Amino acid sequence: MTVNLTDRMKAWIEAMGCHLCVATPEGVPFVVLGRYAEVTGNGEVAFALAQDEAKVIAPVLSENPRVAFGVSRQGGIRAAYQFKGTGELLRSGQAFDAVSGRAREEKGIDTAAVLLVRLTELYCTKPGYEAGQRLDGMPPEELDAWERQRWKDVPRKRD
Amino acid sequence: MVKFTKEMKEALRVPGKGGSLIYLCTSSRDGNPNIAAMRFVATHKDDKILIADMFLLKTKANIKENPDVAVTICHPLDEGRWWVFKGKAVDMEYGFPRDFDWYGANATDILNEWGNWNKFEPPDEVPPDIVFPKAVQRGVVVVHVEEAYSIEPGHVGEKVLTG
Repeated sequence: MTVNLTDRMKAWIEAMGCHLCVATPEGVPFVVLGRYAEVTGNGEVAFALAQDEAKVIAPVLSENPRVAFGVSRQGGIRAAYQFKGTGELLRSGQAFDAVSGRAREEKGIDTAAVLLVRLTELYCTKPGYEAGQRLDGMPPEELDAWERQRWKDVPRKRD
Repeated sequence: MVKFTKEMKEALRVPGKGGSLIYLCTSSRDGNPNIAAMRFVATHKDDKILIADMFLLKTKANIKENPDVAVTICHPLDEGRWWVFKGKAVDMEYGFPRDFDWYGANATDILNEWGNWNKFEPPDEVPPDIVFPKAVQRGVVVVHVEEAYSIEPGHVGEKVLTG
């Protein structure tokens, strides 16, 4: 099932970047930053990773492709969502070239790998009774309306 | 045994006191990762991170089956708080045996000091459209930190604390 992202979610992801969490098959978690993030399709987010960032998660992803991420900085509270999916590290190809080119231009990142996450789950993490509510079953219009009832702020993109 | 630096201790406090919003990263026993932002954070001694158990769902379930966790700073990052703390966690809930010990952290001490967290460190800095209507605390997550690595660009993966 495709996970729909609202325009506001896309804006927060791309403006702030994300904290990316992976885990070994035995359950040991690791975290790196996805400083450059780009929503490449509905339900698909790409992160440009430098060599040292890719080095931390590549061995883990090779054994277990599951990825969870949340929006960095103010997004941790202003964009109260958890995104989950399966990740693939791209080292070359058209998608790699496109994302790494924009990451270099916008953030000066020397991209060693692009982490492409195909989303499978979306959760609300707003503190309170809605914490943990699963949102990926909602049709796009319903999800958009649900979010608009709560938040409308959209961040400016960081340098 | 690790020893937090002064900067780490200052960062691992509630945001309203100059601390940070943090991400608590857990995993199921079979490797399904989970990441959730937390506001109530503090340190205990030189090697423990405390986090209030409020509204925890998957995080709580994961800790009950797998103690391996990672804690990292979500916001602010630009003050040099580029750390990921790794260690073993337990959720000390009300009703725990009073003499329960987690790597030197005693359940009675922890719950007496931090068991009513919202009362002495209320979320005054949290925007009104985010703040929760009523805080219900069920316990305190105690993370025994065993190592920490950097996520600072250019230094990612470098050890900043080792046991």
